[in-house]
Amino acid sequence: MDLIDFIIICIKVVLVFAATMLAVMGMIYAERRISAFIQNRLGPNRVGPKGLFQPLADGLKFLMKEDIIPTAVNKPLYLLAPAMLLIPALMTFAVIPFGSSLTLFGRQISLQVANINIGVLYILALTSVGVYGIVLAGWSSNSKYPLLGGLRSSAQLISYELSMGLAIVAIVLMTGSLRLNDIVSSQQGHLFSWYVFKQPLAFLIFLIAVYAETNRLPFDLAEAEQELVGGYHTEYSSMKFAMFFMAEYANMITAAAFTVTLFFGGWDIPFVDEAAMGNWGALLSGIAFILKTAFFLFLYIWVRWTFPRFRYDQLMNLGWKVMLPLALLNIFITGGILTIIS
Amino acid sequence: MATVVTSYEPTFWDKLYIPALFQGLMLTLKHMFKKKVTIQYPDEKHVPPEGYRGLHRLNKYPDGRIRCVACEMCAAACPAHCIHIVPGPSPWEEGKERYPVRFDIDLLRCIFCGFCEMACPEKAIELTEIYDFADYSREGLWIDKAGLLEIYELTKDKNFYDNSNEE
Amino acid sequence: MPLIKIDDKEIEVEKGITVLQAAIDERIEIPYYCYHPALSIVGSCRMCLVEIEGMPKLQVSCNTTIGELPPERKKDGKYDMIVRTQTEIVKRERENVLEFLLLNHPLDCPVCDQAGECYLQDYSYKYGRAHSRFLEEKRVRKNEYLGSNVIINHNRCIMCTRCVRFTREISGTNELFVQARGDVSKISIFEDKSLDNMLAGNVIDICPVGALLSTDYIHKNRFWNLEAKKSICTDCSVGCNILVYSQNNRIYRLNARENHNVNGYFICDIGRYGFHRYEDAEKVTSPLIRSDGGFKPISWEGALKEIYEQFSMSMSGEKQQIVGIASPFHTNESLFMFGRLMNNIFKDKSIIGKLPFIEDYEIHFDSGFRISKDRSPNRKGLLDFCPNLEDEILQKVKAGEVRLCYALDDGVDRKLDEEWESFFKSQRFLVVQTYAMTPLAKLAHLILLGPSPMEREGTMTNDQGRIQWLNPSVSLTNKTRPDWEIIMEFMNTVGKRELKYTSVNEVNLEMGERFPDYRGRTFFKIGYQGLPKKNITTSRPSEGRQAIQ
Repeated sequence: MDLIDFIIICIKVVLVFAATMLAVMGMIYAERRISAFIQNRLGPNRVGPKGLFQPLADGLKFLMKEDIIPTAVNKPLYLLAPAMLLIPALMTFAVIPFGSSLTLFGRQISLQVANINIGVLYILALTSVGVYGIVLAGWSSNSKYPLLGGLRSSAQLISYELSMGLAIVAIVLMTGSLRLNDIVSSQQGHLFSWYVFKQPLAFLIFLIAVYAETNRLPFDLAEAEQELVGGYHTEYSSMKFAMFFMAEYANMITAAAFTVTLFFGGWDIPFVDEAAMGNWGALLSGIAFILKTAFFLFLYIWVRWTFPRFRYDQLMNLGWKVMLPLALLNIFITGGILTIIS
Repeated sequence: MATVVTSYEPTFWDKLYIPALFQGLMLTLKHMFKKKVTIQYPDEKHVPPEGYRGLHRLNKYPDGRIRCVACEMCAAACPAHCIHIVPGPSPWEEGKERYPVRFDIDLLRCIFCGFCEMACPEKAIELTEIYDFADYSREGLWIDKAGLLEIYELTKDKNFYDNSNEE
Repeated sequence: MPLIKIDDKEIEVEKGITVLQAAIDERIEIPYYCYHPALSIVGSCRMCLVEIEGMPKLQVSCNTTIGELPPERKKDGKYDMIVRTQTEIVKRERENVLEFLLLNHPLDCPVCDQAGECYLQDYSYKYGRAHSRFLEEKRVRKNEYLGSNVIINHNRCIMCTRCVRFTREISGTNELFVQARGDVSKISIFEDKSLDNMLAGNVIDICPVGALLSTDYIHKNRFWNLEAKKSICTDCSVGCNILVYSQNNRIYRLNARENHNVNGYFICDIGRYGFHRYEDAEKVTSPLIRSDGGFKPISWEGALKEIYEQFSMSMSGEKQQIVGIASPFHTNESLFMFGRLMNNIFKDKSIIGKLPFIEDYEIHFDSGFRISKDRSPNRKGLLDFCPNLEDEILQKVKAGEVRLCYALDDGVDRKLDEEWESFFKSQRFLVVQTYAMTPLAKLAHLILLGPSPMEREGTMTNDQGRIQWLNPSVSLTNKTRPDWEIIMEFMNTVGKRELKYTSVNEVNLEMGERFPDYRGRTFFKIGYQGLPKKNITTSRPSEGRQAIQ
């Protein structure tokens, strides 16, 4: 690996980071506008054209707010928690391929920050680290509602990460690789080579689990306003609160991208051979990836403003009594079919 | 004999919940494209309907006399005790011999229940449709006789927020 | 004693009283307008119609006397009269009478000062028919001045002629009469004689509707805003019982209060409008000390310190060097404390004097109502509690040298002549306890802020020796302290006493301990009607009849 490779990777890191942060801002705007539309309202439309600068104004507001650190908190962990949540959320995107490869000045540049062979494991590991942020925030706040939020969050993650992992196992079984690039390339070709058609049950389980994983409605028990005031981030204010906010959206973006990669062919456009089209193909694949991800992000918002929150026991019942057996069943079926075919 | 209450038995399809989920999603999707109800307040103003209970006014006769005779019925009816009247002999030859020398309403105390309007035997005090009268000081929300009469002039002919005649 | 039955109640009554009086004594309500216990009976309003068994038509209860029947003619074997006040026919007649009374009535309650205490309102509500069948034009007349303080609104008048009878029977001045007949009749005065006697204000009180109005109170306030306090008048030594109507510590009007041992049903106009004197007076708002020719405010602590510095040195000095000037305008309690201060603490170092009593002409009305010559309310009490009062203080003082003076001020009524002015000027240190900048206060070195007559509380002894409770009708303003408390602090400071009375009642009890005449004359004993002093056995017996209105 020479210097130019290193520079290219640096550029990619910066670009991906910038794109993710931009997408976070876009999500905040989209969330508020779409929720308003669903409720027959207009939503923010005052700051900038159509209210597009609303997230900037919000960010500015967060920056200028008083940063309160309650006296009773465990200070080191209290300060660490938001970072613990945000950093893994941003890091996860590193392994996701967001387009086919680009050829510039004779160099082939793959549109992916890091092409590692255990990409799936890497993502699962990092999302699991993210939960520490929530648990730590809840515990270090030294206050009853955040603590309850943190506890709920950890219980929820344990329950759903299991089903999610098992759903992915089915994909991995079919691909035979944990490398995300392999998973994407195994879905190329016609439309029905996407795993969503080959593994509909796994997709369903994965989708539900991913909502729980990102603490989105209808699984946002960790921050249930009505019961827990604000959940784990009750005691946070100013930019630290904004970090939780951003982490939530960054997580969503990563999760959406991950969903697309696993089940919707990643950057693949059906019936189109991107590699044959050269750089145009790379661009098209990037756009396809973005559109697919955008759809799932929209789905996130759409679902949030449609369904009510689960009750805690319902959440546990669904996770352990429905999704886990189904995921196991799915693996058996997949494994059985694969054995028969081979 | 006991009545048999038959409740809806959910079918397998119902128990799956997925169709219901889709129904819900479709409903919200439909609303996304519906006409929005938002009134963009400072630019466009809500025109309150007849009978809206907003800011008070003191009515006058066509010849300019104040209708109020300072009987203090409104003050007696007021559950918030926000009306303060100082009566005195009327300066006009015709009409009732009594009239309010001072007529003050503490809008911060007022709960806009409209009892004063109902109690008034002379149809002198009325609640208008004006709803945006916020102020930066407490004194600014203490409205006196001159202010109440001014509001009468503003609202006597037309709805305060109705700009259809202007243009 | 005749036995009568009103509705279901058996009543034994005196022979010769009227049915209405019997009913009022038994608290059976019969509505009436023209009847007044102090006035003669005319039966003109027809409101008190009742059904009496054996009489073909309804009778006016105010003018139907009760007699005794021979035993064989008694109703139901034992009653001398059976009266029914709640039968259908009586109710219907009341409705009809009210409809007639309201024929020309303008129904302008919102602008009427009587609204809220108006018997036309009350009875219309209770017995009336709620709407009139009279479609013709109402008779409308302009308001007229009957006297300098009384306006009549002819439209509201129901011609009960209480006011006419009042001027004939109580004041004896005959100003009012009923002019013309039928629906054009009206209460009127002769051109050369307006209603300006000393009792004129009472016609406003006794008017059952809003026809007679006081120029002093017209369009000032509404009745329900006012708080009524039972008190006594302090404008002469009769001590008439009054009701003080006030709102937010401002007095709006005074009304007479019934007390048959003192004033009957009425008060004079001097007392009625007297409260304005205190409004107009230049008030003192804080204890003041003289400095550079003027006064500057001083705290109570500072004032007491000043008193200590000035007075405690004199405790061992020569005789009669401290002059106490007592006032007959103060309550018994403060005079008692003042007497203690002078006689028990300063002892022979002090001499108690008084300013000459304020005296004016005495007025007697044929009805028995009187306005005393003595215009100070508590001369009796002053003489009781300061028995060693020196009448000729000016001569005494000129003989002996006097340096310190503590004066209770008489208040706004007191004018000083030159002799007294020079006497006060010659004092080395003059402490004046007052509420207003009176001529005496202007000479003071130190002004102690006491309550005004409307703020005072305690007992007063009138010229008949009757002890009555002076109730404060407005609350004390922030820096004012009760008179007795100021004198108590004076005693504690100068005389090193540790008196800790917390209320005027405790002073009153202590006063009863030391002065047998006043023993047991506490607030709860004397109530709102007063009691005579212990050694007075003959007081005028209660004569008048109760009036509900």
